[in-house]
Amino acid sequence: MSDRNQKISVIVPVGRRQEDLRELYAEYCSGLNALRISYEFVFVLDGPYRDAAAAVTELIDSGEPNIVMVTLNRSFGESTAIMAGFERCSGDVILTLPAYHQIQAEDISKLVAALETKDVAVGWRWPRKGGVIERLRRSVFHGFVARFTGMRLHDLGCGARAMKSAVLKELMLYGDQHRLLAVLASRQGFSVTEVEVRQSDRDRFEGVYRPREYAHLVLDVFTVFFLVRFTKKPLRFFGMLGVSMFGIGGLLVLYLVLERLFLNQPLSDRPALLLSALVVVLGLQLFALGLLAELIIFTHARHLKDYQGAQIIQYPRAELPRPTREARVEKTAAR
Amino acid sequence: MIDLGVRRDPALKKNNALNIRRKSQAADSMSDYASARTGTIARIPIQMSELSPKLSVIVPFYNEQDNIARMHAALLEALDPLDISYEMLFVDDGSKDSTLSIAIELAQTDPRLRVVKFRRNYGQTAAMAAGIEHARGEILVTMDGDLQNDPADIGNFLAKIDEGYDIVVGWRFNRQDKLVSRKIPSRIANRLIARVTGVPITDNGCSLKAFRATVIKQVPLYSEMHRFIPAMASIAGPRIAEIKVRHHPRRFGKSKYGLSRIYKVLLDLLVIKTLASFAARPLLWFGLLSAPLLIAGTVLLSYVFVHAALTGAPLSLPIAGCGIIFLTCAFMMICSGALGELVYYLGDMRGHEFAVLTQQLRRSGASVETPAP
Repeated sequence: MSDRNQKISVIVPVGRRQEDLRELYAEYCSGLNALRISYEFVFVLDGPYRDAAAAVTELIDSGEPNIVMVTLNRSFGESTAIMAGFERCSGDVILTLPAYHQIQAEDISKLVAALETKDVAVGWRWPRKGGVIERLRRSVFHGFVARFTGMRLHDLGCGARAMKSAVLKELMLYGDQHRLLAVLASRQGFSVTEVEVRQSDRDRFEGVYRPREYAHLVLDVFTVFFLVRFTKKPLRFFGMLGVSMFGIGGLLVLYLVLERLFLNQPLSDRPALLLSALVVVLGLQLFALGLLAELIIFTHARHLKDYQGAQIIQYPRAELPRPTREARVEKTAAR
Repeated sequence: MIDLGVRRDPALKKNNALNIRRKSQAADSMSDYASARTGTIARIPIQMSELSPKLSVIVPFYNEQDNIARMHAALLEALDPLDISYEMLFVDDGSKDSTLSIAIELAQTDPRLRVVKFRRNYGQTAAMAAGIEHARGEILVTMDGDLQNDPADIGNFLAKIDEGYDIVVGWRFNRQDKLVSRKIPSRIANRLIARVTGVPITDNGCSLKAFRATVIKQVPLYSEMHRFIPAMASIAGPRIAEIKVRHHPRRFGKSKYGLSRIYKVLLDLLVIKTLASFAARPLLWFGLLSAPLLIAGTVLLSYVFVHAALTGAPLSLPIAGCGIIFLTCAFMMICSGALGELVYYLGDMRGHEFAVLTQQLRRSGASVETPAP
């Protein structure tokens, strides 16, 4: 990546977890200077953080070039912060970096270098600190993600990612999807790689993840799973659930009816009948939801293209096949 | 077969403008070419149609490195004697082998060949949709890239289109595939599709089809709908014909289909029925779907009450409960239909947008303007 014309835009989404931005900026700069490519910084304050705002203002006032600060009125989440920052970026390479010490700044160059062959490079902190329980927790979670998205990733929590700007132009990140950027990008046909970066000595795990955060993440994984597999065919998903519900309910009804007919078990005082009717009806409702989803997709089909970034290749580039007027006149005359 | 006849829809004029705009978008690169030659910005649709070829042949390829050059040669052999202007669109659906590089080599030697390249494998419907979107011809022919279709049949398709049909579908009457795993399931599926959609086509699976561009470009194609293109296109009310085509056994490469598609085809069929027949009246459709539940619920409830009234026995709670559940479900279904109406109202897929201009009456009703077929 020694192209003179290139420029890196660094987006730093500043959220609840933040450390001294001046110190961090100096560190990132030293890492970026090694690349000998011009760069700009966009700090996105995800909410009214006074200390952070003061720190960035101080940086700008001290004459540091190419710093932009974007402040969001309230906390929208890291994905929205990244998208808001991206709107102010002019570089061809987008780098997102965490607002706290997470990776060794020298390894930023590795991420950018990986873009020579790939479109997206996400950081993977390795070797990683943490005890046995912590490691087990991580591997279970990443296994779950791999199961549902079909992509084996190792460090969804790493905030250091490099990508070509075309990637963010096509993706619409929201919620907590920044973690699953790799999955979404590869879904759009971009090539994705994980790059090992050394963990910062000061990256320590503060407190524990609360159940709420887990629930969020699990739901996000589920969203991505649905979007990746079933966006264009929602009935496959709802139908799958609906058919199984309907099947279970149907079998139950069959069993009750057979019992009534052959074992003379009266049907009229069995709550099991209610349960089976409920399950059958639930299956039907799921089907109806699926059909409704299909209708939504259909009525917006003109905007939802199945494929992204199709490229036309033809030679010679300027000239197009064209029958001459004379030839056509001759043809019609011959007829 | 549905005949369009003469339409006097007030939406028609707007729609016509829409068509032209779409066409000029598709031909953007061409207008650049035209402006380079004449020095002016030529975006007038008439000039566009002079530039565009008569026929576009769209062939999706996925890992067909052994077939692609043969396909190209076969196409040339079949199309050159027809004496019309044509272009070929080879869509590379993210092949992992050297299909794309061979296609590009071919394109370098043949200016009539254009290659559409996908970043990854998106599936056959997406490949066809991309081909249709980028095609510039007045008549579009789609076919498989595995040489099982015979390009020599294209002439018959063109003749049929010239007769006035909008869509011509191939029928592989002597199909060269395995009986149990391919032909029998396909026959059952085709019967079912014809029955459900009301478009009587013997062979939906045959990729060799010809379309009038103005018709097929209106039809949204996504997901795995390539098997249902005629049914989907029936939204636009085209005249559909079917002709027999030759079918060859596969010589190179591997077949990409399996037997595991029955569940998917059944679900797709339900979707097609919903969209093709009822997209504009979801409330009616959901009402119809909820009818059995409505009937079952009513029967159960009245049985319980009548039984209790006649015998004096206490009301049977589970049966009454079932009846209430069924009625509630029917009610929810009808509400879903109402939601569907809202979705359709807010969406951008209006029925009249499918109206394709075939004839336009002047105010006097005397002079009739027909766009060139």
